[in-house]
Amino acid sequence: MTASTLPPPTLEMRAISKRFGSTQALDGVGLTLYPGEIHALLGENGAGKSTLIKIMTGVHQPDTGAILLDGSPVKIGSTIAAQGHGIAAIYQEPMMYPDLNVAENIFITHAGRGPFVRWRQMQREAEAILKQLDVQLDVRQPARGLTVATQQTVEIARALSLKVRVLIMDEPTAALSAHEVAQLFTLARRLREQGVAILFISHRMEEVFSIADRVTIFRDGRLISSAPRADVTPESAIRAMAGRTVEQLFPRSKTVTDELLVSVRGLGKAGAFEGVSFELHKGEVLGFAGLVGARRTDVGLALFGIEPADSGELLIDGVAHRVRDPNQAMSLGIAYVSEDRRALGLSLPMSITANITLPTLRRYLSALGLIRGRAEAVDAEQFRKRLAIRASSVEVEVSKLSGGNQQKVMLSKWLNTRPRLLILDEPTRGIDVGAKAEVHQMIDDLAAQGLAIIMISSDLPEVLAMSDRVLVMREGRQMGIFSRGEATQERVLGAAMGQEALA
Amino acid sequence: MASSLRRLISWEGLLLLILLVVVALNAAFTPVYLGVNNQVNLFQLSIEKIIVALVMAFIIINGEIDLSVASVMGLAACVLAYLFNQGVAMPLAVLGALGAGALCGAFNGFWVAYVGVPSLAVTLAGLIGYRGAARILLEDTSISGFPEWFNTLGQQPWLGPLPFALVLFFTLYIVALVVLNFSGIGRLVYVVGNNREVARYSGVRVPRLKLGLFIASGLVAALAGVLLAARLGAVRGNTADGFELDIITMVLLGGVSIFGGTGNLFGVGLAILIILNLRNGMSLVNITGNTQTGVVGVLLILSVLLPNLVQDVRAVLQRRRAQRKEVTRA
Amino acid sequence: MSWIKRSIRPEQLRELSLVALIIVALLIFGTQIENFLSARTFNRIASSVAIVGVVAVGQTLVVLTRNIDLSVGSIVGFSAYFVGMQLNGNPELPPLVAVLLACGVGALLGLVNGVLVAYGRVPSIITTLGTLAIFRMILVNYSDAKTVTTDMVPPWVPGLAQETLVSFGEFNVRPMVAVAIAVVLVFQLVLVYTQFGRRLYAIGSNPEAARFVGLPGRRIVLLAFVICGALAGLAGFMFLSRFGNITVVAGQGLELQSVAAVVVGGVNTFGGSGSVVGALLGAFLIDLLGQGLIRWLGISEFWRDAILGLLILLAVASDAVILNWLRRLWAPNELKTRTPSEAAPTPKESSHGV
Repeated sequence: MTASTLPPPTLEMRAISKRFGSTQALDGVGLTLYPGEIHALLGENGAGKSTLIKIMTGVHQPDTGAILLDGSPVKIGSTIAAQGHGIAAIYQEPMMYPDLNVAENIFITHAGRGPFVRWRQMQREAEAILKQLDVQLDVRQPARGLTVATQQTVEIARALSLKVRVLIMDEPTAALSAHEVAQLFTLARRLREQGVAILFISHRMEEVFSIADRVTIFRDGRLISSAPRADVTPESAIRAMAGRTVEQLFPRSKTVTDELLVSVRGLGKAGAFEGVSFELHKGEVLGFAGLVGARRTDVGLALFGIEPADSGELLIDGVAHRVRDPNQAMSLGIAYVSEDRRALGLSLPMSITANITLPTLRRYLSALGLIRGRAEAVDAEQFRKRLAIRASSVEVEVSKLSGGNQQKVMLSKWLNTRPRLLILDEPTRGIDVGAKAEVHQMIDDLAAQGLAIIMISSDLPEVLAMSDRVLVMREGRQMGIFSRGEATQERVLGAAMGQEALA
Repeated sequence: MASSLRRLISWEGLLLLILLVVVALNAAFTPVYLGVNNQVNLFQLSIEKIIVALVMAFIIINGEIDLSVASVMGLAACVLAYLFNQGVAMPLAVLGALGAGALCGAFNGFWVAYVGVPSLAVTLAGLIGYRGAARILLEDTSISGFPEWFNTLGQQPWLGPLPFALVLFFTLYIVALVVLNFSGIGRLVYVVGNNREVARYSGVRVPRLKLGLFIASGLVAALAGVLLAARLGAVRGNTADGFELDIITMVLLGGVSIFGGTGNLFGVGLAILIILNLRNGMSLVNITGNTQTGVVGVLLILSVLLPNLVQDVRAVLQRRRAQRKEVTRA
Repeated sequence: MSWIKRSIRPEQLRELSLVALIIVALLIFGTQIENFLSARTFNRIASSVAIVGVVAVGQTLVVLTRNIDLSVGSIVGFSAYFVGMQLNGNPELPPLVAVLLACGVGALLGLVNGVLVAYGRVPSIITTLGTLAIFRMILVNYSDAKTVTTDMVPPWVPGLAQETLVSFGEFNVRPMVAVAIAVVLVFQLVLVYTQFGRRLYAIGSNPEAARFVGLPGRRIVLLAFVICGALAGLAGFMFLSRFGNITVVAGQGLELQSVAAVVVGGVNTFGGSGSVVGALLGAFLIDLLGQGLIRWLGISEFWRDAILGLLILLAVASDAVILNWLRRLWAPNELKTRTPSEAAPTPKESSHGV
């Protein structure tokens, strides 16, 4: 299609910007969805894709910019408003009412169907919609027993029943088998024939290139390129996704020793990940790179004993261990700093001191079980100085701190357990540039002191800057390990997306 | 800490105000109100409830609830009476009662901590079941005739004008205060109540903590049941029926959030005083027990409703302020 | 086997197993106890189940939305007393008006509960624990400690509990029992065939999703409590009819019995599934077990409550275990930790009611 034969766009996002605290999630991006077109959106984690979707579905409001529906400006103030405009979304985790049957799940959200439920009519209508999608399904069965793929089909049917005009599919294929993916794509194509505008987000290059008509690439909250699929290749896409001008690489010190601390062989957990193997020396920083769904956090949780692995080996100092719970992990010198500091990493109403001493509380108890407040405060003060935590005192509630300082408190908490293996999960997510630099320096210092560090990060430049080696994961499988010299943005991103190694 | 101090002041300040009003009203209606005898009496009549309120505070701060405490009190009293009636020596009967309470608590705690059944459901079943067990023991009868030393436990002055039970309460209050505010367990109670996952991710053994709390609840409830038997001098199958209302109200009125994670014993102490003075004052002007209980019911609902309403008002004000800012910016 | 899974609604499976249990219990008790399967037993069970059953229907509606109503006992007592007094003052009052009065009073009390839970956001356990006491207080003050006795009401009132509507041999169906069955049938239809009923299930099944798509959750929960109150009021009228002597403790304990019936009857305490037929079957099974075990094992009737507590615990525990098992079956590839969106904080969801 040339520009002159394009139909008028269904949904147009113009110059959208959105800021969350210190992070500019979107910076003047635009996106145009045409009817009867499947539009793929590519970008790394943090590129701004889910923020844009949240704006399109009414969860967030843009700071600046305009949204045009059929050429007229609209305000999508709520999820209900989005539904009213014909904008629907399906995600990896379908939103079902497990106790209701399929037909009901499709129609329950409809207002104005009258006070009485006509089951047979509802069943017929449900079957009719499913027929439009050429799907055979018993509409009387409860949603609870259905597979994820079938539930997504029900969600699509639900969108259709609401006369959807824009369907957003956000990473819908992560939980599907190859066969189910093919079926989903058939459904998508059928919707396209009916004139629906589809926005398709996925990390799987082969999927994108098999189904998309147009490919748009975001990077760091900005629009990089938007072109018909024929004009894009996987390589050019990866280069666009990753191709930032790399600023000064963080000057890592030479900290790697030749003392082997950790050896992992074939680590796996059913339903999460498998075949993870690596060696880690004291003073070494091993970066874990990958995209959403790579299951890197699951590996961290397995090593720390929160969600223990069920296969494979872990050797520390040459001795095999089965880590079953966090206390055992801590006694082995393993510490895990969570990626979600507000929900999993910190007790928000408590003071900095209380948070820092939480895993090691036993150390601060007197014979009667009372807390030795002064000993606590002294240790907390030491960490405050060491990590430059900006707060008026160590008694301040952590909920009052900035993201960067919260991150430092979390780091202190785990450093206080005197770990030998430190697992950092997204250590600089959502913190400002200054704090980020401080954290990087801290990591370098810790490595110099002989700690072995695993750094899970979705920030590609950070991974490349900080890691001595980079382990890349994709959908629970290990794709490879690059040395610091070999690792480039394109190579790592390519491996994370399952492509062949690029030059 | 500074902001929690502020939060403290606003809710506790309100409670203090209410307490002063209640006491003033009572003193106005009944001249002898502020006399030592009446004040001691005021505590005595509800001493068992307020002891249990102390441990209930821990449970609710931890994010759980124990609806079965009154039934455990009754069951313990019945076990005591039953054993005594069978000829068991009183001290042993007391131990038996305490053991029964601990067992009930362990039973509750097992289902909540290790099977993952919501504490509301488990302790509701316990409310019914333990009461039933008490009735099985005593059926329709009433047992009395306990030894002299036992009956005086709750009533006679023991330390100055204060009876043993009252001294016990003050001791337990201080212990609870120390444990909740200064011990490791106290801090864990708060952390788990605020966010169970954070505690788990930090290596806290959450199930063990919850089991321990429920056993403590059962034990303390049993102790209260024993004291109740001592004070009343007789035990029936329905002893302590309905006490859970007062107990839970004392805790929630004291500023402990039903959702867990916040609250302290200062507020609970004030709430206890309010309810005791209220009940006592109402009795003195011949207001019946049922009405008194109804008033406590109103307090219970208000203690959750009012903070919600305040939150709503604050949210509306905040939104207006934000809208005004947008207007000035545009 | 899968055609069974498809054509039968989930709650029907539970209902079928309850019927099976009832049949088994009847068989055991019938053969082990003399004269168990007699008209007298049937009448005794039917009368008490009728009252609990009506209350349990209302409780079902509330529990479906992940709430609970502990004040129904007080509502039953109050409406019984209130109508009794009204009939005493106006013996000419037509029966229909009397019944509507009972329902109306109950609905009003239920409205108080509903407003506090749905709009005041006070968790239902707290609200109804409080109103349990408050409504009882209102009853005591209204009654001034006087009792309503049988001779104070027109004779057609106790007649509802004693006369026979229809006979199957020796088994007499009393009007009261017929009313209970009618109520169950009506609300079974409501739950299956009205939007209101289906939305009750939706809200209990996935409250976040319901909120997300704009279902009027608060209004629906309010209605559930109002209807529960109205039904408790109706049960109060039936109580007046059956017992005649209404003291200030009338109705005490009914709330626990109704919760037990509902829970045993398969209404999931996590909301979203269950039926009123199940609740009735649950009430029936509980009463049957109670009567039977007492006669069979020779244990005192005081074992009833202990057994009740145990039954509730078993029902709830198995629900919890089964729910976990189902959850694991349903989403085997579920991501354990959801990645937080770009620096935006996630709101804390509460699992209480609305």
